[in-house]
This record gives sequence, structure tokens and C-alpha cells, in this order.
Amino acid sequence: MKRFLCLLLAAALCLSFVACGKKNSKNNGEISVFYFTYSDAYISSVRTALDKALKNAGLKFNDYDANGNQSSQTEQIDVAISKGSQALVVNVVDTGSDDAALNIIDKARAANIPVIFFNRSVEESVVKSYDKCVFVGTDYEMAGHMQGQVIGDYLVKNFDTVDLNKDGKISYVMFKGQEGNMEAIARTRFAVEDADKILTEAGKPKLQFYDAANANKYLVDQDGLWSSAAANNYMGTILAKYSESNKNMVELVIANNDEMAMGAVSALQGAGYNKQGGKVIPVFGVDATPAAQTAIANGSMIGTIKQDAEGMAKVIASIVDNFRNDRKPFDGIEESTTVGGWRVNIPYSAYTKE
Amino acid sequence: MGENKSLNGGLWSRFAEFKRLSGKDKRRMVSDLIFNNAMFIIIAVAIVFIAVRVPEFLSLSSIVNIVSLTAARLPIALGVGGAIVLSGTDISAGRVVGLTACIAASLLQVTNYPKKMFPDLPTMPLIVVLLAVLAVGAVIGLINGFFVAKFKLHPFIVTLSTQLIVFGSVLMYLMIGNNNGQTLSGLDPSYTDFVRGTLFRIGGVAVPRYVLYSAILTVIMWFVWNKTTFGKNMFAVGSNEEAANVSGVNVFRTIVLVFVLAGVMYAITGFIEGGRIASCSANTGLNYEGDAIAACVIGGVSFVGGTGKIGGIVTGVFLLQLIFVGLNFLSVSANMLYIIKGLIILTACAIDMRKYLARK
Repeated sequence: MKRFLCLLLAAALCLSFVACGKKNSKNNGEISVFYFTYSDAYISSVRTALDKALKNAGLKFNDYDANGNQSSQTEQIDVAISKGSQALVVNVVDTGSDDAALNIIDKARAANIPVIFFNRSVEESVVKSYDKCVFVGTDYEMAGHMQGQVIGDYLVKNFDTVDLNKDGKISYVMFKGQEGNMEAIARTRFAVEDADKILTEAGKPKLQFYDAANANKYLVDQDGLWSSAAANNYMGTILAKYSESNKNMVELVIANNDEMAMGAVSALQGAGYNKQGGKVIPVFGVDATPAAQTAIANGSMIGTIKQDAEGMAKVIASIVDNFRNDRKPFDGIEESTTVGGWRVNIPYSAYTKE
Repeated sequence: MGENKSLNGGLWSRFAEFKRLSGKDKRRMVSDLIFNNAMFIIIAVAIVFIAVRVPEFLSLSSIVNIVSLTAARLPIALGVGGAIVLSGTDISAGRVVGLTACIAASLLQVTNYPKKMFPDLPTMPLIVVLLAVLAVGAVIGLINGFFVAKFKLHPFIVTLSTQLIVFGSVLMYLMIGNNNGQTLSGLDPSYTDFVRGTLFRIGGVAVPRYVLYSAILTVIMWFVWNKTTFGKNMFAVGSNEEAANVSGVNVFRTIVLVFVLAGVMYAITGFIEGGRIASCSANTGLNYEGDAIAACVIGGVSFVGGTGKIGGIVTGVFLLQLIFVGLNFLSVSANMLYIIKGLIILTACAIDMRKYLARK
């Protein structure tokens, strides 16, 4: 009986493989799309939009989840190429060094298929090293700059309400999503720098990190997940030491993404802040997730920066189509968004209540 | 905690005994005393050290914060503790927390939330959702327990498999309906209030409700472990499965029940976590089992099997949260947290094994 069951299972497995094989053997193979992780909210919206765009274009595609692991992704790329993939669309995991991306390009060059990197940054020299390689992203420094501007503008307008202890300075906390990620580094840096610039121009003092002993001037998600739980635990712990009655309350919360911002909001609400009609500690994020949009609408969050997931998906789909038809990669794409024939920048926009 | 009480009660008679001992015995007794209470000593030293550097560490709001963090992480540790008593483990715990948190959050979104996962779902009564989530946890526990008990597979392998299966399910679940893989948010106030609403205030500091729930669970689990036949059977199976079987314990049922109970505990953790964080994604619960298992081991629940105390688990969870908060108060780089955690686990296990080696 047991043996029979085993046999049956094995047979079923074989059949399913055959079924898969059949699908891909014709029509020049699949478009292979590699995501750095399915668990990320923003990447999920890109995935849904891109699935739709590729399906509408009548293309066969397959999605892969690297689950945050570069070696898994590289292996998946090997598998896809051996399956006869006709284009690689890659949301590379490791952005800290060029090696991962270069390695992927080598594989694509050997198979003579195009590579479209998207979302997570790849250096210009790397992209340019292969003529069938482009990058679709955002100018990753932009998010930080725009966040800084939104924060600066908000503070200049509302300085006295935000400055709870009336010491003439705004003390802030910064939640960083991950160490060694270029986006996180840029957001952490420019959000504060640009806000400071605007404050200085308006004759106000610069932002002050709430904890003078912390030389980093940020708190980072140790698991590198940009997670709301990490921000929530930090914020709860901060609120235990810093409060209005101690005259050292944190007066501004800046987070690298909306999930972390929401985690901080939840902790603030636990301490009685950021509820409808109550006192609000301004919280800023990036991504404009539906959760953050709702929070901004009901006033528990002040602002975020919108990344256009659908716009990104549309551009990727048309680049894939261009490569398939031997056109120039950026044919038909809004010229002002392309940079030097190697990258497309999907613009960000500020998202606030107004 | 029981250990401590008897220690105080018999202090005088012990002291008299101590005086009568020879020098060598005296030294051994002192070192035993230190080793057997090493975790309490570490906690005391840590508290004193941090409080001297940063006095706010002992302020009321700080203490409430540490207690709250402990309460949030306690149920999962209480669940995994049972699996460790069976000389097993359960690494699916964190992912079960994630799945149940996501299910609870998805069923309890406010009706007018624009991206509500189930747009036509009316506001559900909390109890229905809680029961549904408990059922999910229990089923996963049942699967774990069944494969461990029936096929004598090592729990590590079984729960490694379910961990992966559960994670896949979370990812699929998050794609359902309008949600599109997004973080689940926009929770109904009835849910968030139930979890993190104010239980009572001391000195103006609000204590969240989930502290009460964790306390109740601790009492229940203490009762289950110490006062029920099931609890005694669990320890019997954990220390020697053969012997337990021969003496008439239903080993199969005991193992399955331990894992079901664990699954229910993870589900409660998930339910609380959903309301506490108020935004659930596929990452929710990731690596929680690591902390939970560490807490159990620190608290003296031995991987050898058959020993462990509920009080120990509470101490373990408390110690880990104490370090997290303490290092933040000291503005120490969080990288140190890993190293300190690792050292404490290693120390705790070494002290634990020392008892067994001495016995042999």
C-alpha cells in the first residue's frame, strides 16, 4: 500500500513536470521575472501590475521569488536560462556590491538574451557593460530628497505645534530599513539633510536626533526587513524613556518606508498619540502603501512618497516588447524619464493630505 | 519562581547547615547556589548596571514597556516550551504567528477601508475570528504532532517542512481578494482596542490589555504543566518515551496534544501581534521562534527533555526583552544584541548541562 502510494506520488510529480515542460517548449520560451522577495508590499504591487501588463501583451512569463537570498536568485536564473528563457527581468537581491549583477549579466551574455534590472539599484558601469542590459528604477536618491522636502515644508509651516517642549528645536527619530542597502542609506541621509536645508533657509535650527549618545543617528531593523514590528518595538522603548512630562519627547518620526512608519504610529497610539482629534507626532514614510494612504487621510500619519508601481510595470513590459521585436530598448518611452540610454527613472511624487 | 520561595523560607536552617559543612563542601554549595540561580544573577546585574548608567531605565513607563514586550513574546515561548520538554523543538512557530496574524487582520479590517481584502465582509465579532485563528493554529499543530508521533520523525524536520508550507500559504493568502500582497492594515477599533487598549493606568502610564491575556495564559499553562495528567504525561514522555509507554501513558496522544497546544499558543500570539503592530505582512513573525526557543533554554527548559518550568520560560523571555530595552537605553549598537544573546544562551545551556553531567 505504502509503496503504491509512493509510486503514485512520483508519477504525479513526473506528470506535472511534463505538463510544465510542454508549456514552455515553444514560442521562444518564457519571460523570466525574478523578485527579491514576495514578502515586500511595494514589490508585490509591482508584481501584480507587471503580471497584468505581460499578460495583456500576450507574453508567456514566469515569476521567481528569491526570498531575500542572492544565491537562490542566481540559481533560479540558471534554471530559467536552461529552460530557454527569452529575457531576464531582475529585481536583484544584493545591491551592496556589483558582483551579483555582473554575474547575472555574464549568464545572460552567454545565452544571448537581454537583462532588464528593475527597482533595486545597479551601477551604471555594470549596466553599460552589456549592450542588451538596461535598468528601470527610480532615482533612488530622489525618495530621500523628496521626503526631506515634505518634512521641511511641513515643519516650517507647523514649527511651534511640533516643538512640544518649546526649546526651539525639533528632536526626531529615524528608522532605517536595512544596513548596506543603497536606498536605505540615501533615504536616511537625504531626508534629514534636505529638511535641515529648508529649516535653515527659514531661519530655524536643524533637526536634532533624540538620543545624543547615538552616533549613527538612526535605528535600524536588525533583520533587514524594513518591518513594522522592528519600528514598533523601538518606538515603544523610546516612549518609555522620552515623554512630554520629561520634556524630551520625540517630536518627529521619519521612516525609510511606510511599514516602519505604520509600526511607529501603532506604538504612538498605544501611548495616546496620533489618534483622531488628539495630539499628533508627525510621522513620515515612503511608498504610499494603501495602509499609509488611509493613515494620512485620517491624520495619524502626515506624509509619504509615492512610488509608481504601475508606471514601472508598464515601462518594463514595453522594454521587453522592444527587445523581442529588435527595436531600440527605449522606443516609445517618455524621453524625459530616460537617462543616457541605459536607465529609465520612474518619477516619485509626494503624497500628503492636501 | 518556586525555587526562590523555598530558598527564602528555609534560609535560616540552611545557614545553620552551611556552618556545619567542611570547607570543601561549603565552596561547592556556594558555587551550586550561584550556578543554579545564574539567570537571576545575570538579570540583577544587568538591571543594576543599566540603571546606574541610565536611571530612567527603572522609571514606571520603562518597566511597563519591558513588561509589555515580555507579554507580547510570552505565549509563543509557552507553546514552544512543550515541544522542547518532549526533547524536540518547533521551528514553524514564527510562521504560524505570521499566518494567524494575517488571517486575524484580514477578517477584522474596517468596513470602509479602501483596499479591504474581503470588501463585502461585515465587521466580524472578535470571538469568531479568535476561534477561527485558534482552529488554524490547532490544525497546524495537529499536523506537526501527527507526523512526529506517527512516523517518529524528528520534530526539527517536521516543523521545518510545516514552516515552509505555512510561509507559502501566507504569501498566497496575502494575494487574495483586493489585497494584492499588501500589508494588511486599517484594522477595526474593536480589535486594536481589545489587544492594546488600556487595561489600567499606574502613575499615568497605560498598561495594555494583552499583558492581562499573557498573564492568564501563563497561569493556565502552569496549571496544565503541573496539575493535569496530560502535563505529567508530557514530562514522562519527554524524559523517557519507552518507560512512559510501558507504564501506560498514551505516547501518541500526548505528543499530538503538546503540538496542538503549541499551535494554539502561536495562534494567540498571532492574534495579539496583529492588533499590537496593526500592520501585518508576510514578514510578521519571522524568526520569532528563535527568540522563543532561546527564552525557553535560558529559562532551563532543557533540550535533554523532561525538565522545564513555566516560571523559567517567563524569566527567559523577560531577560531577552530586558537586554533589548537595556541596550537601547544605553545607546549601544544593536549589533551587540546578537553577541550578548548568543553568549547568554551558551552560558545558560552550559550551566544546564552541568547539572546532568554532575548527575552522571
